[in-house]
Parts: sequence; C-alpha cells; structure tokens
Amino acid sequence: MLGYNQLKENMKIELRKFGDILVSRPAGREAYLAMSAYLLKGVDENELIELDFQGVKVMAPSWADEVLTKIALKYKNLKLLNTENSSVRATLKTLEEFSDFKNLNYAGRNKKAN
Amino acid sequence: MNKDIEKQAREFFAAENFDKNSEYYCKTRDIFQARLDKMIIYLLKEQLKEEDAYILSAIAGEIGNNSFDHNLGSWVGEIGIFFAYGKVNNVLTIVLADAGQGVYKTLKKVKPELKNDIEALRTAFNEKISGRAPESRGNGLKFVKANIKDRGMHLDFYSGSAKAELNYAEKIEAVNGSYQGCLAIISLKKI
Repeated sequence: MLGYNQLKENMKIELRKFGDILVSRPAGREAYLAMSAYLLKGVDENELIELDFQGVKVMAPSWADEVLTKIALKYKNLKLLNTENSSVRATLKTLEEFSDFKNLNYAGRNKKAN
Repeated sequence: MNKDIEKQAREFFAAENFDKNSEYYCKTRDIFQARLDKMIIYLLKEQLKEEDAYILSAIAGEIGNNSFDHNLGSWVGEIGIFFAYGKVNNVLTIVLADAGQGVYKTLKKVKPELKNDIEALRTAFNEKISGRAPESRGNGLKFVKANIKDRGMHLDFYSGSAKAELNYAEKIEAVNGSYQGCLAIISLKKI
C-alpha cells in the first residue's frame, strides 16, 4: 500500500512518498489526512511508529508541524529514522523548541535519531 | 539576475508596474511551489553545498508560504507573491515580496498591545505567536532566523516602516519610506 510497510509490531511511514520537498501547511494537512485515512487507520496509540526521512530533500516547519506534531500528539511511541538532511535536522530542532512536539516522549529525540 | 531586483520587487505590486505575466509572479501557492523546486536545481547547479541549498529552499519556502497563509482572503493588493533568485554581483540572492497586510496588522489581531512595525517584527522573529490563532502556528520565522545565523546567510526583511536585518546578529529598526506588505531579501556570499 502507498508509503506503508507494516511489520509485526511496528509501522514505517516513508515520508518521501509524500514528496521530496515538504514545505507548506496545506500540503502538510493533506499529507496528514492521507496518513490518517490510509496508513494510521486503526493503529493503536501505543504502537511503535517509525517515521523515515530517507529521500526527503527539503522539509520546513510549516509542513512538519501539520504532520509530525499531530502524529506525536496522538501516538506515544515514535522513532525517527534517517534524519541527516540539513533541513530535516533544522526543522526538528525548531519543532522541539516552538511547538508541542517537544513535550512528547519519543525515540530519537535530542538528536538520537538514526 | 538584474542588480535592481530589490527595486523591481518593491515596485512590482504598484498598479502601474504590476505584470501578471512576469516570470517572477506567483499568483498561487502551486506556482510558487513549482518555482521553488526549480530553484533547488539552480542552486545545486551553481555548486552550492547540498545542505545549504536545502536550508535556503526551506527558508524561502517558509517566507513565501507565510504570505499565502496570512493573506488568504485579505490581500491588500494583487494576490500572490513576487519570487526571484539568482546572482547579483556574485552574491546569491533570493527576493520574495507580497502586497499583503504586513506583519504588524497580522500580529496585532492576536497581540493588541503591539504599537508599531518594529515591535511586530521583533515579536515575529522572537516570540512563539501565531497570526492565525487559535491555530497553533508561529514557528516559521524563528526557523528562518536560526538558520540564517547558523549558515552565515543574510536576511533583510521589510514590513511597513520597519526592517529586520539578520545575520550573526539581529537588528530591527525604522526605515525611511514603507513597504505595504512584506519584502524579504536573502543573500549568501559563498557561491
């Protein structure tokens, strides 16, 4: 299924399947709605969800706030993968500092992402 | 790119100058997104480091999309933004401008105690505040500021009668004349 790999105990969402330039709130809202309808439907809030940034070239806080912050508010167990891209790193830092993303407990926080 | 691009951006939305067929005019967000994609290709062709090219694109994306986010249904002049990029005297330059409400008018709705354009710019670049409250927003210009500093870039951001000049430091001051909406000039000398 689109952008979706479900393993036995966790789910991986490949963000590049939503585009490699992720910069606006409307695009982020649309991405989150698609995720909610197709990828995250029926997923328990305690299930491990892997967010894979491999292949993302540009990410800005507007897009990320509409997607990552909302996922982090709903799901308690997130793991961030392949966050080496400069704009991904910078965006995660901004979200941690200025959005509700910082108040959540997730694997990969504080630059421990793979 | 013409060295008078800043002047062109300043005057673009004036009724006597407005050119809906200009290559720099992005009437809608979709057009802006397409031209942003094209800019990344240009930046990489110009041998800019990937990490700088992607951060620059994220910064331009934030500023450009802010114009659409905060002026939807409230444009003062023509809808859309002016978006140009290229080298001016061997300095990579990105220019974005809109004929929107400007930062002061946008933020005063959610922070009525703001007194002028200077206070509005100081708030926009430093405080967690959303011009579209109760929506939780307001991290974009903080992202812009942090990364302009971290990457050794330079930003002149005009709105109303104030200017924010950001590089390793931040200076916000009144300027002669005024700009109706927002005008941003990003530059990077490394190229």
